[in-house]
Amino acid sequence: MGHESNGVSNRDTPSFNFYSDRCASHMLRKKLPFLHSLLSPVSRHVGHLAGHQYDVIVVGGGHAGTEAAAAAARVGAETLLITQKIHTIGALSCNPSLGGVGKGQLVKEVDALDGLCGRAGDWAGIHFSILNRRKGPAVWGPRAQLDRQRYRDFIQSELLSTPRLTVLEGSVEELLVTEPNPEEPGHHRVTGIRLANGSHAISARSVVLTTGTFLSGSLFVGQTTSPGGRIGDAPSSPGLSHTLRERLGLRTGRLRTGTPPRIVKDSVDLSLAKLHLPDSHPTPFSFLNTHTHCKPEEQLPCYLTFTTPGVERVVRESLQLNCHIQQDTKGPRYCPSIESRVLRFPGRSHQVWLEPEGVTSDLLYPQGLSMTMPPDIQLRLIREIPPMRRAEIHTPGYGVQYDFVCPTQLSPALQVKSTQGLFLAGQINGTTGYEEAAAQGLWAGANAARWALSMPTVTLSRTESYIGVLIDDLVSRGVTEPYRMFTSRAEFRTSLRPDNADLRLTPKGFEEVGCVSSVRYQESLRVRNSLQDALTALQALFLSTSSWKKKLPSVPISETKSTLLTGLDLLQYNDVTFEMLASAFPESLSSYMEFAQRLKIEAVYKPHCDLNKKEIERIQREENMSLPQDIDYFSLPVSLSDEVREILDRVRPSTLGAATRLEGITPAAVVNLLNYVRVTEKKKETHRNQRHQEARGILKVNLSEKKEKKVRCREHTLKF
Amino acid sequence: MLPLRSVCGGIWRAAVHTVRTSRGAPPYRLLSSTCDGAPAALADADTIFALSSGHGRCGVAVVRVSGPASATALRCMAGFTQRLPPPRTALLRSITDPRSTEVLDRGLVLWFPAPRSFSGEDSVEFHIHGGPAVITAVLQALGSVPGLRPAEAGEFTRRAFQAGKLGLTEVEGLGDLIHAETEAQRRQALRQMSGELGRLYQDWSDRLKRCLAHVEAFIDFSEDELIEDGVLNRVDVSVRDLQAEIERHLKDERRGERLRGGVQVVIAGATNAGKSSLLNKLCQRPAAIVSPIAGTTRDVVETALDLGGFPVLLSDTAGLRDSSDLVEREGVRRALERVEQADLTLVVVDSAHLPSEVDRAAAFLREHLSSVIRISRCLLVLNKADLLPEKQRQKLDMELRGVSGLPAVCLISCQTNEGLKDFLTVLHSSVKTLCGDPLFGAPTLTQARHRAHLQRCAAALAQYQRYRDTDLALAAEGVRVAVTSLGRITGRVGAEEILDIIFKDFCIGK
Repeated sequence: MGHESNGVSNRDTPSFNFYSDRCASHMLRKKLPFLHSLLSPVSRHVGHLAGHQYDVIVVGGGHAGTEAAAAAARVGAETLLITQKIHTIGALSCNPSLGGVGKGQLVKEVDALDGLCGRAGDWAGIHFSILNRRKGPAVWGPRAQLDRQRYRDFIQSELLSTPRLTVLEGSVEELLVTEPNPEEPGHHRVTGIRLANGSHAISARSVVLTTGTFLSGSLFVGQTTSPGGRIGDAPSSPGLSHTLRERLGLRTGRLRTGTPPRIVKDSVDLSLAKLHLPDSHPTPFSFLNTHTHCKPEEQLPCYLTFTTPGVERVVRESLQLNCHIQQDTKGPRYCPSIESRVLRFPGRSHQVWLEPEGVTSDLLYPQGLSMTMPPDIQLRLIREIPPMRRAEIHTPGYGVQYDFVCPTQLSPALQVKSTQGLFLAGQINGTTGYEEAAAQGLWAGANAARWALSMPTVTLSRTESYIGVLIDDLVSRGVTEPYRMFTSRAEFRTSLRPDNADLRLTPKGFEEVGCVSSVRYQESLRVRNSLQDALTALQALFLSTSSWKKKLPSVPISETKSTLLTGLDLLQYNDVTFEMLASAFPESLSSYMEFAQRLKIEAVYKPHCDLNKKEIERIQREENMSLPQDIDYFSLPVSLSDEVREILDRVRPSTLGAATRLEGITPAAVVNLLNYVRVTEKKKETHRNQRHQEARGILKVNLSEKKEKKVRCREHTLKF
Repeated sequence: MLPLRSVCGGIWRAAVHTVRTSRGAPPYRLLSSTCDGAPAALADADTIFALSSGHGRCGVAVVRVSGPASATALRCMAGFTQRLPPPRTALLRSITDPRSTEVLDRGLVLWFPAPRSFSGEDSVEFHIHGGPAVITAVLQALGSVPGLRPAEAGEFTRRAFQAGKLGLTEVEGLGDLIHAETEAQRRQALRQMSGELGRLYQDWSDRLKRCLAHVEAFIDFSEDELIEDGVLNRVDVSVRDLQAEIERHLKDERRGERLRGGVQVVIAGATNAGKSSLLNKLCQRPAAIVSPIAGTTRDVVETALDLGGFPVLLSDTAGLRDSSDLVEREGVRRALERVEQADLTLVVVDSAHLPSEVDRAAAFLREHLSSVIRISRCLLVLNKADLLPEKQRQKLDMELRGVSGLPAVCLISCQTNEGLKDFLTVLHSSVKTLCGDPLFGAPTLTQARHRAHLQRCAAALAQYQRYRDTDLALAAEGVRVAVTSLGRITGRVGAEEILDIIFKDFCIGK
């Protein structure tokens, strides 16, 4: 549910705390206990004045907003994060956990790009486990139960100590929009925001909206509906929705989600549930951490229990009292409420996880029991489950409906195509989940900063990262239900593994994006070089099968196979570990022991990744051919059928690669588009060259002739 | 199935004029993965081969190979163990199967090292004898050379285009060419997909997709959801069965091939226009029942013909009309289906129904045509010419030729044999054009393509078995590759489709 909190609220929200454009030196900055962080150096900095022009304004302080603000500041932009309540920054609105299958990959990638959530998870985690441990490293799902308070503390302390980042408590009334910069595509340009209550305008070159469930949010419990983005929090200002829809003409849709009731821990008989223990050696999310904050033996367990026929009965009896469930709005197919679970799959027993909410928390989170019926019936329902026979509800579950912006209106940089400088991230783009939000937030924030600093925006390919898969799916296909990441969405899953996210993304993040610190960059280079050296050393061990047998007597090596094998070949065997090879050849291999597991994975996956490579290169070439965003497909003087033109106009793919993935685009259409791209690129080049020559005053005499030719050519084109 | 959209030729030309300014621009990749359902088809490093000469009876057939492994193919099939022959020189060699070293044929081989070749890549040409058996054997032998795979339609041309080897006029035709190719492929696919073979592939494809969905569900959800333990075991059984079935099929692939060996000519038109009479005339025997009763022919009547050396499969179909008779309605459905799959349609019209004025006759025919066929090539046959007054007949004959929007028009009478000879000449030249056209889907090539995809599919299923217990991600990768390989034959498969199966079959929560 409300995976992002936000900084937008109604006019009458009392928490507004902004003094003036000129003298805001004592802007509210919550004092936090200084974290003696083992995990990251906390740098204190002096707060910036709010009065001046910001490069980037981020609206919302949830998972998307915090990553966006931090990333923008890392890239070098003067950044302002506006949130409704500073103390809810980094709040986990729904489940107290991070990662999982598919989602864990996103956390690793956000960390590889120097984002916050991986390190925050390592700090706040109280129960670590790698899901899918027995199914192969490509689909391992690092996951942790979190202590809500610790997570929030970490995020807040990180943000408040990030240079160039200012945090402001307030709510945004509207976006300031003006005429576009004619040099760039787009119909509008964003120039800042106006705050509620007093109409303060704050200007910025770019704005990132991360409104989560707050955009025209309404809450549902039983038959009552009230405006709100999260229980206890007002929804965003109607002015904001109005700007998006009416002023900017964006298509929006409505989605719903929900959260379960929180249960009083002491009222649950956990002896009736199945104990579920964490990994005995917790694996940190972050590539920078060697261990987690929580000691292995201090981790808390989870409990597993099941629904009973009584649960189904209560759901059926209360259907007419449940207006959330009766609505047509699309909810998450992947995280359904207990109502939709029993209605879709009747007569079954469904899993319910009882998860701790924190080290000192008195509450349990019943994962799988998201519900929206009246509170008294919620109580009846949970009491149908044996361990909760006498359970008490602390806070009832509820549903949320909210607006999202159809994400096909965004570029792969997560910028609204029609509006220069406006970026969106998180649930506003139709996704669900903390990790999906964080990933988009980071990317939108980095790009917003680049835009503000007049640097070209950057994109991630679906061939190199799950973040790329996520963004490409969103902007080129759109959503019909809340979008959640799965490993099966990634075509190149065997190459995009959680273990190698740093190799894939950290160098790019430093060299091309600028969102990675040099410390992390240097570390990733060290890792990359060591792995490379180790693989070379393994390949240099070139022995006959009989010699291998002598060296590793315990390994069954068939002699019928090729007579010479390298160490790398051996490492691909199921029962051969790097440790075994290193003890057989200590002089060449023992220095790489810290990478034992990574080397084993690299060895096993190498042949498959090599196979993927050709296809990846092909896709990347196509993705490098960009289609201008301002093309009028209906008048484009190339041979395209009306249907194809319509599809292209609706989706506006940003690259030829994206165009080829659209349903209904024909080979002939792609060839013709390709020609168009070639021609426009060539024209641009010619134009550039000409300008260059003009500038240097050595313009050739035949320029007029050239121009004439060009005109002729254009006339020709237009005739058809 | 390939997506199909009509392309307007005139507008294409406009694009080409703009191409003129782009000479010397870097070569780009042309086609997309999803468009022709063949992503790997366009990877540079692949080496492709195909029969480049026309299909049908011919003395010499040319098989072309292009790509980095061309030299390998030359070495192992033409016995150049030491060094390669001098470039661009024809040499007479024995052509052998690299697996069995059996001699397949004696023919000319030519070696074109890059960049001086048609495609700009290393290329080899085999000039062999034109019999279908020799061609099939050579294509299959090439398929067994590592790194080689059958070309997708038009791939040589695309590579040539990418290498900057095509002149402007040739580029000009490329859009039309690709459109025509997809058209030819579509017809061929339709033909195969509506048959027994199509149902078989479709069934495999459905079962494989289900396997993949279940493995994916197990990977993405089993940690947090109730996915019954038996799921993977059932997948194991399915995968094993499928692998065995596909391997068996690969050993038995010659069955049914011959049926697809000719130009598909379909006779269509309104009831009682004389379609069956035309069939009987063409095959010179009473293959179809002929009567003056409208709606005599209810099913498709097929007969194989040798038309001046070209294989033709002629089908007579039920007359097109709205009917309340169930059997006849089915006949009409089948007739329309045949027309859809045809390489050439003979639209038969009863001349007596023509308006007497020529202008109105042309309009009438145009409208009639649009009601019978949509895309495929056709000839208009005006039957029962003997029923027309001599004067009108001559006028029609003269003035309907070359009227815009009408195909070739032949005025004949099956009763008196009038005009039949001229009609045969026109038909023969049309069939000849079709056969000489390398775009016309040569069945051996299609067979070789299918074979390659099926082999890859079976190999990928073996990968599933190999990794099943150690690494499910790699095992699933095997099923994925199997699904895409089969998808090249039956149509594409996307991630969303798999997710849909997952959610249909399982109760999935978070």
